[in-house]
Amino acid sequence: MFMNVSLQTSTADDAIFPRQSQCFRPAALLCKSLKRRGCFGRCGGFVGRFRRGVVPVSSSQMDASHKHVKADCEALLARFQQTQSVRFEVFANIWREMKFSQIFRGVVKHEKRAFCHLVLNTAYCYFLPPFSFQIRVGGLYLLYSLYYTQTASPSEQIHLALKDWEEVKKFENNAIDAQHMDAVYILRHLMFCKAFRFTAMPTLLCFQTNKVKERSVLREEFIERASRPQELISSGLLEEMSNVSDLYENMKASVLSQMTTPGDSSFNLIRKDLVSQLSGTVQEFYNWQREKETFDENENSQEDTSQKVCSNRAELLASIKSKAFGEAPETLKSRRHRRVEMNSTTEASAALLNQGYTRILKQSLRKRTRDALLLSGEFPTDFRLKHVRLTQTAGVSVVTRGLAAAEYVETFQRSLRSSIRFRCV
Amino acid sequence: MSLRAPLARKNMAESKQTPDANTGIPEYEYIDVNTKPFHVGSFRDEWLARLRPEDFSFQQEDEETFEANFAAEMGLGADTMAELKSACSIDSLRCHPEDEQLSMDDVPSNPRLKTLIQRKRKQERASSHNIHKNRHDFYADELERLTIGRPPEMGADRIPKGEVLLTINIYHPAVYEKFNFTRPCMTLLMTGSHTLTELRDAICCISDLQVCGEFSKTPDVAPDFISKDHFKSAFFFFEGVFYNDMRFPECQDISITTVEWAKAHNFPQYSQAKMEDTRFVDLKVKVGFPYLYCHQGECEHIIIITDVRLFHKTDCLDKNLYPLLTHKHRSLTQKCAVCHVFIARWYTTNDQFAPSDPCLFCDQCFRILHYDTEGNKLGQFFAFPYTDRGAFN
Ligand SMILES: [Zn+2]
Ligand SMILES: [Zn+2]
Repeated sequence: MFMNVSLQTSTADDAIFPRQSQCFRPAALLCKSLKRRGCFGRCGGFVGRFRRGVVPVSSSQMDASHKHVKADCEALLARFQQTQSVRFEVFANIWREMKFSQIFRGVVKHEKRAFCHLVLNTAYCYFLPPFSFQIRVGGLYLLYSLYYTQTASPSEQIHLALKDWEEVKKFENNAIDAQHMDAVYILRHLMFCKAFRFTAMPTLLCFQTNKVKERSVLREEFIERASRPQELISSGLLEEMSNVSDLYENMKASVLSQMTTPGDSSFNLIRKDLVSQLSGTVQEFYNWQREKETFDENENSQEDTSQKVCSNRAELLASIKSKAFGEAPETLKSRRHRRVEMNSTTEASAALLNQGYTRILKQSLRKRTRDALLLSGEFPTDFRLKHVRLTQTAGVSVVTRGLAAAEYVETFQRSLRSSIRFRCV
Repeated sequence: MSLRAPLARKNMAESKQTPDANTGIPEYEYIDVNTKPFHVGSFRDEWLARLRPEDFSFQQEDEETFEANFAAEMGLGADTMAELKSACSIDSLRCHPEDEQLSMDDVPSNPRLKTLIQRKRKQERASSHNIHKNRHDFYADELERLTIGRPPEMGADRIPKGEVLLTINIYHPAVYEKFNFTRPCMTLLMTGSHTLTELRDAICCISDLQVCGEFSKTPDVAPDFISKDHFKSAFFFFEGVFYNDMRFPECQDISITTVEWAKAHNFPQYSQAKMEDTRFVDLKVKVGFPYLYCHQGECEHIIIITDVRLFHKTDCLDKNLYPLLTHKHRSLTQKCAVCHVFIARWYTTNDQFAPSDPCLFCDQCFRILHYDTEGNKLGQFFAFPYTDRGAFN
């Protein structure tokens, strides 16, 4: 019913400040021109056509700047990554060298707030997984620095999404464990200054389906290496599996003993050595991954491959105990914000690291390993305990997590069910 | 390798989705587009359960207390703490000498940051081509500028801490073939304790002001027939529920047709609720997802809740100022065909005085042209009151 109306249109402001020349032009003349342009719709619903294809300047400009802001942030973070440090002083050095504060200069007044939001939101992404711990520290420093150098007044806050809260807390705990006091202080300081808005999502969402593709590109070098198998097959999971397995075996034994007719004891759905096999496989994968890594590195640097010979267990212990996510020498050198007393194992691992094994211990693996890898050998007890605690809080969900685990659990359940049916018969 | 990777990925994806959909933790349904449905009240509770009261209070904590607490918790001595503080100082980010006064309004010369290079290029282009400035953008955040950072009022009118704030975009009726989401008609801030009727009353739409009928004989009585006062039924549609306005005796459940049609055609069942009994905290919604507001029987607006969050101390904390309008689209207006100055108020057809059929007139020109000094109708024509979309500018 609405016709294409292209009456001469102008904004309301023109009504208040009319252009002199246009006042009181003869009606006939005007209306002729109106007619020529083909006007008019129906009674009462006379709707001027919205100017098609007009994208608000600010939003299109923000889209364009997003690309550049992202590139600038990544350039800064890449340089930070090269230093293999997580110290704020190192970050601030790069910031100054790049004159990063200038990023806010020359923003038109009415775009200031939108631009500050864009910049903070861009930096926020690097503060979260899947980026490595070091990049996330860089992301945090970026947020802190941008927040305090921004030009919007009052300050634009960082949108912190509820779904990301847990990751932020985990990050904080990791940083505390590793005694990266500058990172912890800066995070707490932002919290203290109420720099965060506690939101549903990090940005305003308005169903803009066209913008999605460009944003989802992640920088490969910043992302942590895949270590899903280690993550999935945690010690907790294996513990639970072996419990379930025992339970099953007992049940099966009791069912068999209760049967009047001698049952078929060869009835076997589950392999006896399931748990140890599973952990063996993961161990194997882990070794393979590590060897490959060492091999690649040695190829590049033409170094003696005999380095590989060092014992896995010692290495692992070192990696667990050093708790340093950045490059080890760096964290050892600047121990300034650490507690003075360091336990002997850390010293031991430090010695190990200084013996030239450092390049094998890549930061991402180290963290992953510490968090999730299970080895069949013995663990330092505190590590084990931590795992038990972790898995306890995670509860039953651990069982249902993941691949092989899920498959195995399913098999367990199936056989349990069948054994119950067995009993009913 | 014995582990099957594709399966692993699939299972990971499944296990990441929270098993109970009723949580208050919003997750993306489509990244950067919209979330899955969540309950606004539980969302608030989830946040409050995670935060310390001082994190969301409107008071600023004392810096010394913060530092003392931090040092105590981390087991840092006074020296270490001082060292840490200076290492993390914001001064270390300064990119120019301390005494140098910088103007932040111009792009520095020879910038190296890509953002600045692009900005400089853009400014040069703008000045050489004299690019037309879009007035809409200039006024876009005018209201926001007025409302942001209002000093918190004390007393009973103050927003209680831990309250949720919703940002709601209301769009023009979708009468164009291709709907343009980019510029909302208006943006409102509402609190979690507002009811949907309060949202309804805050939405201004010209179809509420429209007057139906032909008034060429009695132009003076036209204002008595405003649609708003005659057709009071309306509904919101969120997540399969129609929320009907039933405040007045003449209100009808105008969603019933749709509900029954859906029932008869084996569609997913829709339910109904009362608009006036529903607060935002009671709602289950997707953030970023287009929902519907329908009034005047057929005037349908898209509604998008773009953000839900806890109140922050820099927000306007005066309860009485909500629902708070932060953005209002300035519509293009249709002018009078005679003077081309004032916004059109009358629409005529079969009009012997008009150069076109139909034709638009402002009230003054309309009366001068079509009536004598006593107000008697001259000649033959039909006149319909016309409400311009720019009426709310
Ligand atoms: Zn409407
Ligand atoms: Zn006029």
